[in-house]
Amino acid sequence: MAVFERTDTMYRILGGLFEGLVKDPSVGPKFVESDIIIKFTISDPDGEIWLSPNNGGEVICGPYGLSPTIEMTLSGDTCHRFWLQEISMPIALAKGLIKAKGPLPKVLKLLPLLKPAYAAYPGIAKENGLEVKGA
Amino acid sequence: MPYTELDLTLAEDHVALKEAVHKFAVGVLRPAAIELDKMTPEQVIAKDSLYWRCMKKMYELNYHTVLISDAYGGLGLDPLATHIVWEELAYGSAGFAVSLGCSCFNAFYASMMADDYMIEKFIVPFVECRDAGVMSCWGITEPDHGSDILMSGTPHFRDPKVVQQVKVRRKGDDFILNGQKSSWISNGPIASNVSLFVNLQPAMGMAGGGICLVDLSQKGISRGKPLNKMGQRELPQGEIFFDNAVCPARDMIIDQESYEMMTDLTLAHANATMGAYFTGVAQAAYDLALQYSTERIQGGRRLCDHQSVQKKLFDMFVRTATARSFSRDAMKYNMNTTPPDVKYSIASKVYCTQAALDVTNDAVQIFGGYGLSKEFPIEKLFRDARAGLIEDGSNDSLALTAGNMIVREVTQ
Ligand SMILES: Cc1cc2nc3c(=O)[nH]c(=O)nc-3n(C[C@H](O)[C@H](O)[C@H](O)COP(=O)(O)OP(=O)(O)OC[C@H]3O[C@@H](n4cnc5c(N)ncnc54)[C@H](O)[C@@H]3O)c2cc1C
Repeated sequence: MAVFERTDTMYRILGGLFEGLVKDPSVGPKFVESDIIIKFTISDPDGEIWLSPNNGGEVICGPYGLSPTIEMTLSGDTCHRFWLQEISMPIALAKGLIKAKGPLPKVLKLLPLLKPAYAAYPGIAKENGLEVKGA
Repeated sequence: MPYTELDLTLAEDHVALKEAVHKFAVGVLRPAAIELDKMTPEQVIAKDSLYWRCMKKMYELNYHTVLISDAYGGLGLDPLATHIVWEELAYGSAGFAVSLGCSCFNAFYASMMADDYMIEKFIVPFVECRDAGVMSCWGITEPDHGSDILMSGTPHFRDPKVVQQVKVRRKGDDFILNGQKSSWISNGPIASNVSLFVNLQPAMGMAGGGICLVDLSQKGISRGKPLNKMGQRELPQGEIFFDNAVCPARDMIIDQESYEMMTDLTLAHANATMGAYFTGVAQAAYDLALQYSTERIQGGRRLCDHQSVQKKLFDMFVRTATARSFSRDAMKYNMNTTPPDVKYSIASKVYCTQAALDVTNDAVQIFGGYGLSKEFPIEKLFRDARAGLIEDGSNDSLALTAGNMIVREVTQ
């Protein structure tokens, strides 16, 4: 069974995680400056989450008519495991669990910005009753 | 005369970069490579040699960080700019371009990890390095495994009788490494660290491999004599021996679960880069031959006024322009698409290295006797191009690997 049972649950949990990320003072300004629009195309449950540098950094859950700089295609379960750091980017890419469209240097540039989300996610997941190993 | 830029979307930055790297390659790398070509491999790598002086200059110019994100202080160039840098450096010297390309292996793998430990250990020292003292190499081939170790997805890759020679065993928080890599490891005699491809699960054959980032300054590492070879003599190559060398377990970045796919991903990058390098080699030979054909008089006319020479020049021109267009497209696509479509990188490598060999061969012919003489750089370009057909996978076995991929795509 999928970790996120429904799209709206996923939007609430991951959307909240990303909201926290773009508002984080160590990340938000760098993200806005990077001028990168990211689209996560998620399956099982199906959904789209967008991170845009517009309006000082915003998160949009659901279809959005921008053209992404980077599009990451992955499952809801992979999202969950990725943010729990149970799976690393090279392994996820190598195994085809994450497919990325967009310049590789920009994809790699994003990774160091994600640190606060790694720290925050286990707590958020637990609060929402999702399975967190070792918790 | 510079070639006509067919890509009308090239930004001003790209044009400026192309001019700057071209000037450096022609003014610094080519004359140095010609001098180094005459030396023994030991002289090439001696302290303060011309090789080191050129590598230092490239590090000072930050060319070593082409693939490292600007988030870490690298140049983090876009795929087209990356192609431009590799092509132009190889226009001056294929050997230097390969040496520089391999130098970033560990930092590049580490940049996929987004992990403070990796950043501090592998990326920061590399990006900050200005004296080429922090340098990687790619340790994949072995004395008993050259083509087969690169041919992931083909049937022998899961044969337990065919396994990597470098073996590891776990000891507490470390892996202990034993075995040997081939005499072909580019930067092998001088690198400070290696992206090492090892065997973790012999029962899975080659597919049971792992990739670890290993410090080469430790006890337990020794190196072979630098290799004496035909082409790209400015590129130091040599064996690396592991005798109970140690690698912290967290530096084993890939295990058997994703080894085969990561080998493909690595090959896709390396082969796309080879396409760019050998476009540069072809362009260099074409430019020199065209110039010479306007100077040499035979039968009262310049060589270039003879129709058969014009036909040869045209064939060289077509091959070079095709190599550039195709290798740029392959690099742009595969640096924008992860996982990449490996067969396009392989096709780019196979096509461009063959084009470089054909063009340098025609250039030797246009130069006549002088084409064979050390007075002109043509015979060196020819030897450099010849090595390209074996380097980074022999063209025949790469073609088999890509052919296998094509068939698997339609039958699976
Ligand atoms: C300039 C240069 C730089 C290099 N740099 C590096 C480096 O940085 N790191 C590294 O690890 N290695 C490096 N190599 C090694 C290189 O990858 C190998 O030389 C290459 O893969 C071929 O392996 P081999 O030389 O052992 O030839 P072999 O594998 O012994 O092949 C010999 C011949 O047999 C053919 N052959 C092999 N298998 C098959 C098959 N299944 N079917 C049909 N034909 C086959 C091949 O095509 C080839 O023509 C470099 C080599 C060169 C020349």
